[in-house]
Amino acid sequence: MLFVWREAFAGLRRNLTMSIAMVITTAISLGLLGAGLLAVRTIDRTEDLYYSLIAVQVALDEPTSAADPDCSSPVCAGLRDELEANPLVSGVEYESRDAAFERFQRIYAGQSILQLVRPQSLPATLRVTMADPLRGTEIVEQFTGRPGVRNVVDQRSTVQDLFSFLGSVRNATFGLAVVQALAALLLISNTIQLSAFTRRTEVGIMRLVGATRWYTQVPFLIEAVVTGLVGAVLATGGLVLGKIFFLDRLLSGRLLANTIPPVGMSDLLLYVAPVLVVVGAVIATLTGYATLRLYVRT
Amino acid sequence: MIRLENVTKVYPTSTRPALDDVSVEVERGEFVFLIGPSGSGKSTLLRLLLREDVPNEGNVWVANWNVGRLASRRVPRLRQRMGVVFQDFRLLPNKTVAENVAFALEVIGKPRHTIRTVVPEVLDLVNLAGKADRMPSELSGGEAQRVAIARAFVNRPLVLLADEPTGNLDPETSTGIMTLLERINRTGTTVVMATHDRQIVDSMRRRVVELSSGKLARDDSRGVYGTGR
Ligand SMILES: Nc1ncnc2c1ncn2[C@@H]1O[C@H](COP(=O)(O)OP(=O)(O)O)[C@@H](O)[C@H]1O
Ligand SMILES: [Mg+2]
Repeated sequence: MLFVWREAFAGLRRNLTMSIAMVITTAISLGLLGAGLLAVRTIDRTEDLYYSLIAVQVALDEPTSAADPDCSSPVCAGLRDELEANPLVSGVEYESRDAAFERFQRIYAGQSILQLVRPQSLPATLRVTMADPLRGTEIVEQFTGRPGVRNVVDQRSTVQDLFSFLGSVRNATFGLAVVQALAALLLISNTIQLSAFTRRTEVGIMRLVGATRWYTQVPFLIEAVVTGLVGAVLATGGLVLGKIFFLDRLLSGRLLANTIPPVGMSDLLLYVAPVLVVVGAVIATLTGYATLRLYVRT
Repeated sequence: MIRLENVTKVYPTSTRPALDDVSVEVERGEFVFLIGPSGSGKSTLLRLLLREDVPNEGNVWVANWNVGRLASRRVPRLRQRMGVVFQDFRLLPNKTVAENVAFALEVIGKPRHTIRTVVPEVLDLVNLAGKADRMPSELSGGEAQRVAIARAFVNRPLVLLADEPTGNLDPETSTGIMTLLERINRTGTTVVMATHDRQIVDSMRRRVVELSSGKLARDDSRGVYGTGR
């Protein structure tokens, strides 16, 4: 037992340059994978956040907006009843022109745009929350151009750009992670072959005196697994630093504040880190095993 | 202890068999010289006994193992009961004498306290107790071969195989090695030694099995190397 560990670490020390290259490549690959996983998490969070807020807005035309503080006119009430009866819809709220103006004043308190806007330029709206936020377009199609309706806007389509941006960040990191993983696999495989070559006399003697396959091969597997684990730890460390010094600043900065929810440390340590450790160890073991099977006849 | 039954071995790269229908039996505790000129099949026979290769035809028995048919996961057990030394010693250059001997026990999972007691004993047996901490590069050829013998013998094998163990040594040193092999043989270990050293064979008067072009040419119980050569 002691023997195989000693041999494994001797192997890692012997080809130190290769070992370092192997660990770094593995760490980068796993780090990218971790970043991709965090992106997926963040996208889910962001979507949850937005889907609870966004709605389909049915803006009413000028005459209806001007005349109706409580949606009692036949046109408005008719639209509202029809929306409420629709199975895609989970709720309808009426916001009169005056209420819209009040909200507008709240949002832009102290800003010059307030001077330009008067109640008359804002429509009254029916805010429709969807049972299924993905099917807002169907409401848009049904109600656009109807009497009393100025226009219908699915807010979801306006946040779609944000999601597709996050989505491409995710895809790019996963893509890079795969390329790096390939490099890591080849390096691990190559290092094991090199290690087996340097140890061939030793392994030859081991076989001759009756050492089992386990004793001759496990040191190589341990070398690989240690690489995978150290790589996972470095990758997690890198992600923690990246979060503290880059992401936290970016997401709390003026541009993206309140647009994307911050990445939590617990996400990183409790969800991403374990995945990286397992993936690192499993991939390194499989690579090591395959290399021994294919290239190292001992 | 060892039995070959009509063993034929043809290497895939050659047409002529390296061993051709060889049958021979060696009793427990015997000392046997395996002689014949270069290329006559001596090393091949030893390789078959160690299961480094398998015969094309016939059976090879060592103790109760049918060596040629042994599942590869059982091969380590066979080899743990056999010791082997070669002309070129095959010591690990980065380990001391004691470490080289201990290595053979470590890699088959012997506990450390066993190793600590057994290694000095066997170094004593081969008269190298004083050189336990030397590196192989600091040893003479005869000393290196004695370390190799210590390593082969440390696990008390049933059979010790020696493939031209004196091939690289001068006659005087060779005599020392032969004395050592005889001492090991007297502990009850069966010894099979391949050699083409006429002087050694003639002086020992032990059983001689001669191979010629892969065929069994002679089997004398107290033989000499031969007259015709
Ligand atoms: N690995 C091998 N591949 C092909 N031919 C071999 C191999 N080993 C030995 N031979 C051939 O088998 C014959 C017997 O060789 P060997 O057993 O080494 O003889 P010896 O040990 O008596 O010199 C020789 O003709 C040799 O060329
Ligand atoms: Mg030979």
